[in-house]
Amino acid sequence: MSLLNAEDARTLAARVATIVSADEAEVVVVSKESALTRFADNRIHQNVSECDTQISIRAVLGAQTGSAATNRLDEDALRACATAAVDAARVSPADPDFRGLPAQTDLRHRVGAMRTPETFGAEQRADTVRSVVEQSRIRGLHAAGGVSSSVETVAVSNSHGVDAGMTVMSVRATVLSSGDGAGTGWASYFGSSSSGLDAIALGDEAATLALRTSSPQDLAPGDYTVVLAPEAVADIVDFLGYMGFSARAVAEGRSFMSGRIGERIVSDAITISDDAFDAHSCGLTFDFEGQPKTTVPLIDSGIAIGPVTDSYWAARTNTVNTGHALPAPNAIGPLPLDLAMAPGDATLDALIASVQRGVYVTRFHYVNVEDPIPVTLTGMTRDGTFLIENGTLTSPLKNLRFTQSAIEALGTVHGVTAQRRPFQTMLGCAIVPGLLLGRWTFTGQTE
Amino acid sequence: MWDVIEAALDAARLTGATYADARVVSTRQQTVSVADERLDAAETSDSTGIGVRVIADGSWGFASSSGPDLTAAVRVARDAVAIARAGSRVSGTPVRLAPVEAYRDSWQGLCARDPFDVPLEAKIDLLLAADTALRSESAVKITRATMGFVSVHTFFGSSVGSRIEQQHTESGAGVVAYSVSEGEVLSRSYPNSHGGNWLQGGYEVIEGFDLLGNAPRVSEEAAALLTAAPCPSGTTSLIIDGSQLGLQVHESVGHPTELDRVLGDEAAFAGTSFLGLDDLGRLRYGSDHVSITADATVPSSIGSFGFDDEGVPGQRDFLVTDGLLTGFLSSRESALSIGRTSNGCMRADGWNRIPLIRMTTVSLEPGTWSLPDLIADTEDGLYIETNNSWSIDDKRLNFQFACEIGWEVKNGQKTRMIKNPNYTGITPHFWGSCDAVCSAEHWQVWGLPNCGKGEPIQIAHVAHGAAPARFRNVQVGVGR
Repeated sequence: MSLLNAEDARTLAARVATIVSADEAEVVVVSKESALTRFADNRIHQNVSECDTQISIRAVLGAQTGSAATNRLDEDALRACATAAVDAARVSPADPDFRGLPAQTDLRHRVGAMRTPETFGAEQRADTVRSVVEQSRIRGLHAAGGVSSSVETVAVSNSHGVDAGMTVMSVRATVLSSGDGAGTGWASYFGSSSSGLDAIALGDEAATLALRTSSPQDLAPGDYTVVLAPEAVADIVDFLGYMGFSARAVAEGRSFMSGRIGERIVSDAITISDDAFDAHSCGLTFDFEGQPKTTVPLIDSGIAIGPVTDSYWAARTNTVNTGHALPAPNAIGPLPLDLAMAPGDATLDALIASVQRGVYVTRFHYVNVEDPIPVTLTGMTRDGTFLIENGTLTSPLKNLRFTQSAIEALGTVHGVTAQRRPFQTMLGCAIVPGLLLGRWTFTGQTE
Repeated sequence: MWDVIEAALDAARLTGATYADARVVSTRQQTVSVADERLDAAETSDSTGIGVRVIADGSWGFASSSGPDLTAAVRVARDAVAIARAGSRVSGTPVRLAPVEAYRDSWQGLCARDPFDVPLEAKIDLLLAADTALRSESAVKITRATMGFVSVHTFFGSSVGSRIEQQHTESGAGVVAYSVSEGEVLSRSYPNSHGGNWLQGGYEVIEGFDLLGNAPRVSEEAAALLTAAPCPSGTTSLIIDGSQLGLQVHESVGHPTELDRVLGDEAAFAGTSFLGLDDLGRLRYGSDHVSITADATVPSSIGSFGFDDEGVPGQRDFLVTDGLLTGFLSSRESALSIGRTSNGCMRADGWNRIPLIRMTTVSLEPGTWSLPDLIADTEDGLYIETNNSWSIDDKRLNFQFACEIGWEVKNGQKTRMIKNPNYTGITPHFWGSCDAVCSAEHWQVWGLPNCGKGEPIQIAHVAHGAAPARFRNVQVGVGR
């Protein structure tokens, strides 16, 4: 099996849709080729690749739906998969709010998104690793991380003429530098190609930070002003997306936006949208129902504007379909996969310089939700936490635990950086700036 | 499938691999979920493919593909060798493996009633009935009822000479009710949170849970949480139920004793461990009441198997013995660092993933207390149940957990209900504060089918046996 291009994937999806004996049928083809070279202790210790193509079928009988999926592409397997989807639909209770599969709608594409993916093979990944690692090795440090590439073709076809397909690529590189007597430093890259990946600079950033974080100090628990580097902000935005920006979460009353659309919920310095057409986005420009993604303002200058929808939740909540369906069957609801926080006009250095006493956070680790509506998060800081005193980074700090409502914290924004960076997140990708927050609660530290 | 395995191993050897193993894995899954008295999802899926792992020029390489025929097997094996050779450009000491015997064997997990033979409508009917029962309290606004089934069939061959065929089926189910008021969403789950409980076995597992019988109680407790007292902040005695304690074991004993983490291989992603190789046989992990095993032979546990994905037999090993660190979870490669052979913990979550060191059934061994006696023996404290949130630092030291529900314990009596209880601690201090563990009568295996580790991320199905236990001087009500 090899990676399907968009045209072949669309052809396959359309052909499979014709063998589904149902009132309506939807077929999603996901063909993916990915590879990852991981390293630790300055040597490559894991080197993997995979190629897979999966066919997912949603069959509809009236208001009854059923789904089935397979990665076997022979005719018998595809027919068996179609039969399984129809059989599931036949015994499923009808959903009175199901209005049928969506119709064909004109698609638009992100500039440059349809180009042929570059080759980023095992030898290129090894050369990248060598350049990254060398920056730690020459300083007597140890580097760990990974260099990966992924090419994914998605095609959607349905019995109402939906015919969408595109191929997207992403490249990611990470490096954690550490050493005896040193602390730990981190740097990462994420983009739609390797052209922006400067391996030497990446390795240098992490190694420099590792040397700077040696002999970390204690910090008493309490409320602090914090400057969050963009990678830390990406975690917060990611959780906002998962917990609150879905039409389902809003309708069920478990979102911070539930009953508050049109109200100010965070600082007026905060504007967040879902934007698959941002030049830095690596995602699809249509959703898994083949509907065009629209750029959705979620929070505008602190005001809750509204969530993302799919065909089902748009109908159920009497709003427009924004094109944010996940693959069927979808027990989560629509989600924003291309979150973008608007930039401000500051530099990260200027934000730090404005703080009398506070904490600088490079990134977070193992963040989880304790309370859904205020999005109360707990997690740790990691790989570059510093005390800020009189506008300067002074002592490195031991990794700190925080327990903090994200909504409350975003109500205390005192500065936003002009520069934004893209990150891979659990939902997709997020393009975010750095932030200066007036209050952030640290509740402990590690040893 | 053996011809495909042989073709892959031959191709790897002829291309220059000094070691190779090949796995053909077929996985069949079914998910059924109901939400708010409607069907949310009914899906079956299958996936088949081959993964070939090699050592060439002293480095690891792995390639995988769906469509496991002879052609794919040869191509994937050659790709794996090429990838290994590329990796050798940034290599360290050549990879060495602890010895393992060649096995020609088969293994099958327990399964009395094949869940894929049970009609889908029966599953939907059960979930809809349970979901309706969850809504018996008006304060409950959101309900979920889910079940899932996984069947895995694996053919494994290695250049050592092993040829092993394994099959097992897992079944899981759970219900959850959410009570909602202004600004507050509170959940109550059964038999566990985050998708319920999972066991190896067939539909008899689902029937054994009695979702319908437990749903009204779940609804009542969810509603009662709305008016429950907030968790007090301070330091107190904490009695933790078996399900939450299973996750505590998972995060603060299972992961830190994974030898690949100790050696730094996962440093950049999930992190390392506060443990070092020199701690083996020396470090006090906990009090004398704390003994923890890793056991791949526990019947009906989703952490059980005949052989791991390196062809090492599943086995029972002590990680902590009477409070002392005595073992690590290991692989053939990592075991050499402690002068041992592998204790069989390498597992992959599919044909397209390499095996990693994963937990099996990592359990707190039972003590002697009954739960009523333990509560009666506690003058002032909290008793808490069912995980809601978890977080731990990159060395597995500083953790914080939140649970769904708790009760204050005053003068040996469970008193008023509390909502959103949470607690935090430092791993060895916390386990060192354990002064009582309940008996085998209260001990239960909790399946955890969502353990994430590695890059690309792998989701392992692991399990934990635990009975309720008491910990002294624990910080609770963090950030409240």
